[in-house]
Formats: sequence, structure tokens, C-alpha cells
Amino acid sequence: MKKRSFSLGGLTKGPNFGWNMFLVIVLIAEFIIFGMKNSKFLRVSLLLNASNDFLPICFISIFVTFVMITGGIDIQAGSIVGLTSIVIGILWQELGLNVWVAVVLAVIVAGCCGALSGFFVAYCRVQAMVVTLGGSFLYSGLALLVASLSSTEMYKGLSIESESFRAFTKTKLFGVIPLQIILFLVMLLIAYILLHRSKYGRKIYLVGVNPSAAEYSGVNSRAVIMSTYILSGIAAGITGVFMTSQFSNTALPSHGSTLTMSIITACVLGGTLSTGGKGSVIGTALAAIIIGLVRFGMPLCFNINKQYLDIPIGLLLVVVVVGRAVASNPAVIAKVGKLRKKDAAGAR
Amino acid sequence: MKKLFKAREMTAFLFLVALFLVVGVINPDFLRGGENIAACFNGAIVYILVAVGMAFTILIGEIDVSVGSNLGLVAAVVGTMMQNGESWIKAFLFGLIIGIIVGLINGWGVAVMKIPSLIFTLGTNGVLRGMMFLMVGTKQVTDVPVAFKNLSSKSVVGPLTVFFCCTVVLVAVIQLLMSRTKRGRYFIAVGDNAGGADLVGIPATRTKVLAYVICGILAAVAGILFCSRAGQVTSLSGNGYEMKAVAACVLGGISLSGGLGSVVGAAVGAIIMSSISYLLVFMKLSSYYDNVITGIVLLIIVVLDALMQHRSAVNNRHARLVARTATAGVEKGGGEQ
Amino acid sequence: MGTNETAGKAVPLLSVRSIYKSFGLNAVLKGIDLDIMPGEVLALIGGNGAGKSTLMKIIMGIYTHDSGELSINGQAVAMNRTSDALAQGIYMVPQEPLLFPNMTVEENIVIGFDKSKAELHKELVDTMAEIGWNLDLGRKANSLSIAEQQLVEILRGILRHARLLILDEPTSALTFDEVKSLFKVVNDLREKGIGIIYITHRLAEVFDISTHVAIMRDGTITIQGPVANFTREDLVKGLLPPDAEEGAHKEAIAAKPVDYSTQPVLELQDFSGYGFDHISLKVWPGEILGVAGVVGAGRTEMATTIFGMDKVLGGKVLLKGQDITGQKTRQVIAAGLNYVPEDRHLNGLFKICDVSANTTSASLFGGTLGKFLLDRRQEYDITERYVQNFRTKVTGHDQLTGSLSGGNQQKIVIGRSLATEPGIVILDEPTRGIDAAARGDVYSIIHQLREQGVSVLLISSDMEEIVELADRAVTMYQGRINAEFQKEEINQDNLMAAAFGIVGEGAKEA
Repeated sequence: MKKRSFSLGGLTKGPNFGWNMFLVIVLIAEFIIFGMKNSKFLRVSLLLNASNDFLPICFISIFVTFVMITGGIDIQAGSIVGLTSIVIGILWQELGLNVWVAVVLAVIVAGCCGALSGFFVAYCRVQAMVVTLGGSFLYSGLALLVASLSSTEMYKGLSIESESFRAFTKTKLFGVIPLQIILFLVMLLIAYILLHRSKYGRKIYLVGVNPSAAEYSGVNSRAVIMSTYILSGIAAGITGVFMTSQFSNTALPSHGSTLTMSIITACVLGGTLSTGGKGSVIGTALAAIIIGLVRFGMPLCFNINKQYLDIPIGLLLVVVVVGRAVASNPAVIAKVGKLRKKDAAGAR
Repeated sequence: MKKLFKAREMTAFLFLVALFLVVGVINPDFLRGGENIAACFNGAIVYILVAVGMAFTILIGEIDVSVGSNLGLVAAVVGTMMQNGESWIKAFLFGLIIGIIVGLINGWGVAVMKIPSLIFTLGTNGVLRGMMFLMVGTKQVTDVPVAFKNLSSKSVVGPLTVFFCCTVVLVAVIQLLMSRTKRGRYFIAVGDNAGGADLVGIPATRTKVLAYVICGILAAVAGILFCSRAGQVTSLSGNGYEMKAVAACVLGGISLSGGLGSVVGAAVGAIIMSSISYLLVFMKLSSYYDNVITGIVLLIIVVLDALMQHRSAVNNRHARLVARTATAGVEKGGGEQ
Repeated sequence: MGTNETAGKAVPLLSVRSIYKSFGLNAVLKGIDLDIMPGEVLALIGGNGAGKSTLMKIIMGIYTHDSGELSINGQAVAMNRTSDALAQGIYMVPQEPLLFPNMTVEENIVIGFDKSKAELHKELVDTMAEIGWNLDLGRKANSLSIAEQQLVEILRGILRHARLLILDEPTSALTFDEVKSLFKVVNDLREKGIGIIYITHRLAEVFDISTHVAIMRDGTITIQGPVANFTREDLVKGLLPPDAEEGAHKEAIAAKPVDYSTQPVLELQDFSGYGFDHISLKVWPGEILGVAGVVGAGRTEMATTIFGMDKVLGGKVLLKGQDITGQKTRQVIAAGLNYVPEDRHLNGLFKICDVSANTTSASLFGGTLGKFLLDRRQEYDITERYVQNFRTKVTGHDQLTGSLSGGNQQKIVIGRSLATEPGIVILDEPTRGIDAAARGDVYSIIHQLREQGVSVLLISSDMEEIVELADRAVTMYQGRINAEFQKEEINQDNLMAAAFGIVGEGAKEA
């Protein structure tokens, strides 16, 4: 048996490995800096509770990564979250459905929203940016419309009085680990297997790298592209369920409306190439957690108002993309190459 | 075929007219006196300016999603300065300088560093939005001088306001510069085919940076007008304008792949965008329909456009291939049958 | 051909002296010296990666050179920007015309000038009348054929009073008639005293059109001088590496004869589509059928239509007796036919993917690589098999294919098509743009396939290739098969004549 050099899907080796290591280092640095500033930051229960704030970003960005690997983009996921939330509320309150039936139906609606946009992108060849822009108007508008069907005033939201539904986000495994963290890990695992271990995931990459060559390899690139939007729609739907339950069982059309920027930031910071063909679930998840910890740690440790958090996150995004552009500049590579040569010569 | 270019913004214009007529048929009050139509126009100025600026970045084949925060930041700065009794001129200049700096940064990142524009401007968007929070905080800028506020409702031509008339003149001038001057054509050329632009000596990088600077300046002007119209600035002012501006450009017939469309189209698209909510009132529909209608209209337009473009591309290709075989077909096909 | 370089002692229009250029650690140009006089057509030949386009980009000011000197009319100049080159009267017509698709012809030509529109319009109309061209100036560029687009590009150059025109593989996308009219234009321009650098891959064109020739290989110029001083063989020698053991791959083809009594593997019956018409042909097991013809004859369109990429307009495709007409690509692959595309960069390679992902990309259907999860052991084995068999030079299975040489990339794409275990593969220009050694390797792969009983439909514009490999050959001309040759009738003259529409007595008409 000869040496086998195949990688474990970018986890242990491969092109994403270096970047993922960098993200891990940033993550550790966050713990050290925030922890030194304020030891409360390191309290497990606090940290786990804070996860509520940023898990939505993690959930969605993992699957938006799929979309971005095919060369597309998804800026509608946020509005699908709101739509899902309100659909659950209406189904429960106005139609009197069992809350879990409502949840399943709402997630199906979310998948259909993704499918519609995906269809336009894949089969009508419209740019993903415009389609999902239109989608974000359409789905957020639908959420408002659907909400107006109810007798309750909208700003109050539809409150869902179901203990089992409330328990969904209040249950803690072993008394510490919130159920949604488990849910997140399960989704992460599913996404990891889909993207890095399955034949489907390979097709996603191939379509993103060179759609034409993928067609010549017999890959139905349009179906693959459309499927990624369905997945991100479903992920947004699940997030909608989760946020509805979390915010004291209240269905609101505005849930998720502010997520877009964080989602895209997480994907890009996670190493996803916005032109497609590159990206990893692990990278995006790490980046989403990094962003989440900034959101949690900055106010806690540096008394920074939550609203200013756009600055560090925006800066992070700009610094990362500029840094990467500099690093991939041929002139810089040549210089580094020469330096290395000199070093090697000097060492000799 | 020759008319196609013109047809793109014409379609948008006809759509706007049709929209007004339909509402007029449903509710004749709307068309009576013309005040309502004027109100649609007057209400659109901020959108028009932002959309025209956005049009520059889209025409060169890029995008700028930081315009909303740029607008908000300028509005906040100008508002605060006026509130503190600084001179108007100083405040305006300060606002414009912010716009130029933002434009230069975006242009540098996109054109020089070659970073995908959506990603880079998303980043600057975050930074600008955060800076705006720093400026305004949880408080609001409310004490904008009354004289400045009143300026926005001052009408000159019939019910049309000073601001609207100035905006129209500005858009007309930009349109003329774009279509009549050599350098004006550069923007479209760069977006149409950046590699080709390089070969005929068009400075693609400089043109792109310039487009972002223009976009930044127009967003700043929009911010100043916003401040006057709204009379107050909160930390959320300007949020979401970037998406509406993109939608306006698309509605106005600008292709998101660049090189196709005009600033007039963007302006018309902006009027459509901002009128929809006003029109809903006359159609006795709840304002909840606003986003739904915008989304549906946007999707229909882009999908139809993409389908038509794809069709014509395929047909062109097939026609060319058939032309290659045509001679053989005539010579031999004729002989055999 | 005009040898009117009476001004032999005159100052060269453009003179290039010991130009060096590296990208990163990769030296692309290693000391180039080149002169071009007014009224000269200099044919510049060289394989992909020889550095031709880098040199041209330096002349155009798109790249700057590391060292060396450019001079125009005897004066040293610095070309830092494209506008510098344009100001010096140099204009390049790129291989793929770079027009602005949404602008009209006129807008395309006059953009970038300082003069007034009316002035330019008059000048343009006059110029066109002078050369006798007729082009609707109001048409949009995206409705032009490639040849018309090239005319627009050339007009751009003339209007700029270009004294030196660079034509980068102008005939690569042209039909035969269009090539003829292009040659006429080139001759007209030459007579006006304009210098022309004519980059080409086709040796035949050199003798048709140029007065001088220069051959580039691996960043240096190996042969340079008036065309009359060279024969075809000289040029070929200049293209080959000095130590190339020519004919190493020409080992005795102790081929077992094809059994024509069995059922054909592939049969086209009156097959029609966009770009080709009423094609009927048969390929038998273990046979190499050459399909010769010029670019644009409809060969690639025929192949891609069989492969499910475009609409079938009529007729039938039978694969081992099974009707696969109009099926989807993956069904065609599953049925046992695979296709290696002509343009490997556009339709073949996944450049930022590794060797194994590239090799197995067509095997993702069926159970070969697992049902749902990717069977990495299988993937490794398949990749290793083709890397070994084809002697592909890779550092490992995780090397990105974008960093490989053209020949190794081609081997990987061929390996991919064979990994689906087809009964027949269509190879479309399998040796275009790869070096001599890799060409030999590809030839032995083809022989190997034949041994294993896999049929090959070999599409090639390189007549030598068909002579060397094919058991039988057909030629396509303007979308039709116009001649068929048995093994003993295949020779370059027959093929070339038929490819250009002249069917001699030696060949029976199809």
C-alpha cells in the first residue's frame, strides 16, 4: 500500500487548511483579549447564552456558503427568516394548526422561496444579486402582508402560546448546553458531509469553478445551482423557527432583517471566494463564531454600544479582503519568493 | 436593433406613465390638478440622486452598497454641524468631502486592489454605519435650522420644488456629459468590456475610481437633501437606500453586468420605486403591498430581460452557424433533391 | 509574394532589443531581439507558452519589461501604458476581438479619440471607401460575426494611423472565405507601407501572407529572416526543442486490422444540427476515424451536439445500436461515449481544483464513486491509474491543475473522459497548444486506446496528425462530409485539398 495523500476535505489539509488555522488563531486571540479584559467573558454559561445572539448568523451563513461556492450570492435569507416566523404565527393563531405542523409548513414555504429565486438564477440566467435583491423585497413584503391578515397589531407580533415550542430554545442539555447549540452542531455536520464528503458537494465545487466544464462532465449545473438556493432557504426557515421561539414565542416579520451583512461577512471571512469555487463549511462556521464573539465581547469587555459593532465587523471584512488582495498580488509573491530564496541561500 | 439602447430607458418611462394612468383610472382623484404627480416627483429626489450615483458604479460593471450609510453619515454630519450653528456652506462642503473620501476609498479597493465590489463596499458600509452611530448615538439630530427645512418644500415651477428642479437639471447635465463627451462614454465602455477599453487607451482604473467618487458625491448631496427634507437624522437614516437604488437602476433598464443603460433610466426607475408607496394610498391598498409590488416588478423585469438576452444570444449563434453551412446546403442540398 | 523590402537599410519601424520579462519566478522572455520594417508582414510563430503574447503585451504597454529596450523609428521609447503605444502608432487586434458589445460599430471605432465626432465620422467613411469595405456603422457590435469584428478592430487601428498593426491569430475563428478576405486586407495594408506582426499557429499561412518570419520557443527566438529563406521543414525544426527525438512515438504501428464486419460502435444517420448538415458516418470498434477540416467546418458543433450540448435538427445517433439522439450529456456518457473538448481552458479544466477532482469529474454518476458519499479510495485509485498510465507530471493528487503545463492538463482531461470507460471517445484537437513531447505522449495514449478496443473519433486541423494516427478519415467542409479516405489514401495533400473543398479523383465522394 502506497502513501495516500488524500485530504480530509480541507479539515486536516488542503487549500483551506491554512486559512482555517488563521481563523482558529483569531478565535483564540479573541478569548485571550476579551478574557483578560473581563473574566466574565470566559464564563461558560454566559458564553452559551450569548450564542443565541449569533447562532442565526451561523445557521444561515453555512448554507449561503454553498450558494457562494457556485458563484452566486444570497441576500434574501434574512427576509425569509421573517416570512417563516410570521407564517408559523398565522398558521397557529388564525388557522389553529398544531404548532409543530405549522413549523414544518413554514420551513417548506422557506424552501419554496429559495427554490423560486434559485430557479430564476439557474434557469433564467439572471444575476444572483438582482434575483435575491428582488426576493428580499418580495419575501419581506409578503411577511408584512401575511401579518396584516391577523387581527393582532403588527408591531406586537403574534405570540405563540405553546409550551413545547417555547421549550425548543429554553431546554438545556445537562443543564448547560442550550438545545440550539446541539441543533447547530447537527446542521454543521450535515453541511460538512454534504459539501465535503458527498458527490453532491463535489458537484457544487465543480459548477462554481467552471460551469461550462461541469456541463461537459455531465453535471447538471443548473439543478445544482438551484438546489443550493433551496438549501439556504431551508436554513433561513429553520433560523426563523428558532428566532421565533427564542424571542418569547413571538412571530415578527422583522426577524432576520438585519442579518444580511453579517452573513456575507461570515462567508467571506471564512475563506469563501465570492467569484465561486472556493469555500468551506468549517471556515464559515469559525468566521461566524468569530463575528458572534465580537458582538458579545465588545459590549461586555469594552463597554461599546452594540450599535457600533458594525465598525469592527466592517473593518474586519475590509482588512481581510484587502490583505488577501495584497497577498495574491503577483508583485508581492515575487518579492516574497525572492526573499525566501535569499533566506535559503543565507541558510546554506 | 439600433433602437434597443434607447428603448431600455423608454420602457421604464412608459411603465411610469402607465402606472400613473392605471392609478388614475382606479382613483380619478390622483390625476386631478397634478399635485399628486408632483408629489411623487418631489418625493423621489433623494432616491434619484442615490440611484444616479449607483448607476455609475453599475455601468462600469461594479456595485456600491455603501451609499445608504454614506448618505446617512453625511446627513448626520451636516445636520449636527447646522444644529451647532456652523455656516451652511461649511457644513455642505464638509458633507461633500466625506462623500469624496468614501468614493476614493471604495474606488481604491475595487479598481486598484481589484477586490469584488459587493464585498468591499459591504465592508465600508459597515464601517460608515458604525461611524454614524458614533456621531448620532441613540440621540437624534432634530434641531436642523427651520430655514433649511423649509427649503425642501419651496416650490418654483408649479408644485415642483426647488430641489426637484435642481435634481432634474443635474441629471440632465450628467446625461449630456455621459452621452456627448468622450470621457463620458468611458464609463459605459469600461463596463461593456474592460479588456477592450484598455486596448484603445481608456484608463480603466482611473475611470472606475472616478465612478465611485461620483457615486460618493451624489450620495453626499442626497444626504444633504435628506437632512433638509426629513428635518431629523436618526442613527438608522439612509438604511436600505442602497438596495432601493440598485432596484431603481434595474427598473430603469441598467444591466447589472455593466455597460448598458443610462442615468436617466436610473432616475426614472427611482421615481417608480419611490412612487409605489404613494400610489398605494390612492389605490386604497395597504402600504404592506409596497415591498411585494417592488419585488414582483423587479423580478419580472430582470427575468424577462435575461430571457430575451439569452434568446437573442442563442439565436445569433445559431444564425452564424447556419450561415456557415448555408452555401453547402444550397449547392448540394439543391442537387440531391 | 512581395519581397519589396527595398528599404533594407532603412530604420526599422519597431526594434526590440534583448527584452527580458519574468512573472514571479517564472522567466517568460529570455532576451528577445526583433526588427520590423515598414511594409513587412512578419509572421510570428510559436506554441502556447512560447511568450508571444507576453511580448506583444510589452509592445502594447500592457506589461512592462524587466530589462531591454524598445525603439520606434530608431528612437528608444518607454511603453508604460497602452496609450503610449497607441500614440506611437502601434495597434493590436487581439485574438478575440475586444469590442464593446452594446455599442454601435461607429462608437466602437471612434472611442478614445480626441477629435470631434463629425470629423471622425468623415474620416471613418473616407477610410472605408478607400479600402473598399462596407460595414453598417449603426449596427451593434454584438450582432457582428467574428470576421466583421476583426474588421472593426483593424479599422480602429487604421483610423489611429497605426504604422504597426499586430494581428494575434486572426484566422483562428474565421471561415475559409473570411480568411481570404482578411488576407486581401493584410496585403492592401502592406502595400501602404504599414508594418504588420502576424501571429499564427498555422505554418501554411506563413507562406501565403508574410514576407518575414520569426519563430519563438520557450522565451527566445530560434529562427528569423525573410520567408523565402526557409522551407516548411525548417520552420518545424525551429518549433521543436533542439533535442527532440523526432518520431520517437512513430514506433511501428503493429496495429491489428479493424474488423469492419462487426456492428459499428457509433453510427450517425443523416445527422443535422446547427453548423452541420446531413452527416452520415460509422465508426467501428478499435478504429481511429480522423475528421479533418478547417476551423469552422462544423466538426466541433457535430461533436458537441452528439454530446447533448445543442439541439439536434434531424437524423439519428446510434451508439452500439442504441439510439442516443438528443439525450442529455450524462446519459450519453453513461451510454459509453465521451468527448474531450477543443477548448480545454473554457470547457475542460477546473483550474482551481486538484488533479483528482479533475480526473473524476465525469465519474460522479452511477456507483463508481460511491452512492451518496464520495468514495475517496476509488477516487484515489482512478486518479493514480491515469497519472501513472499517462505519465502525467504532477507533484501529487492535490496539485491544482491551473499550475500544470498544457500537455499535462490535456492528459488529465483525456484521463477524465476515459475514467467513464467509454466505448468511443471523441478527441477534439487533442494536441492543440501542447509541446512536442506531450504530443508524443498523447499519440501513444491514442494508440494504447486502439489496442484496448476503444474507438476514437479524432477531430483535428493538423493533417499530419490524422495521417499518422487514423485508420480511416473523412473531411468536413462547410458543415458536410465531402470526402472519405481509406488508410492507404490518407495523405496530407488529399486531406488538405478536401478540407478546402477540393475533392480530387483519389477520394470518393461521400
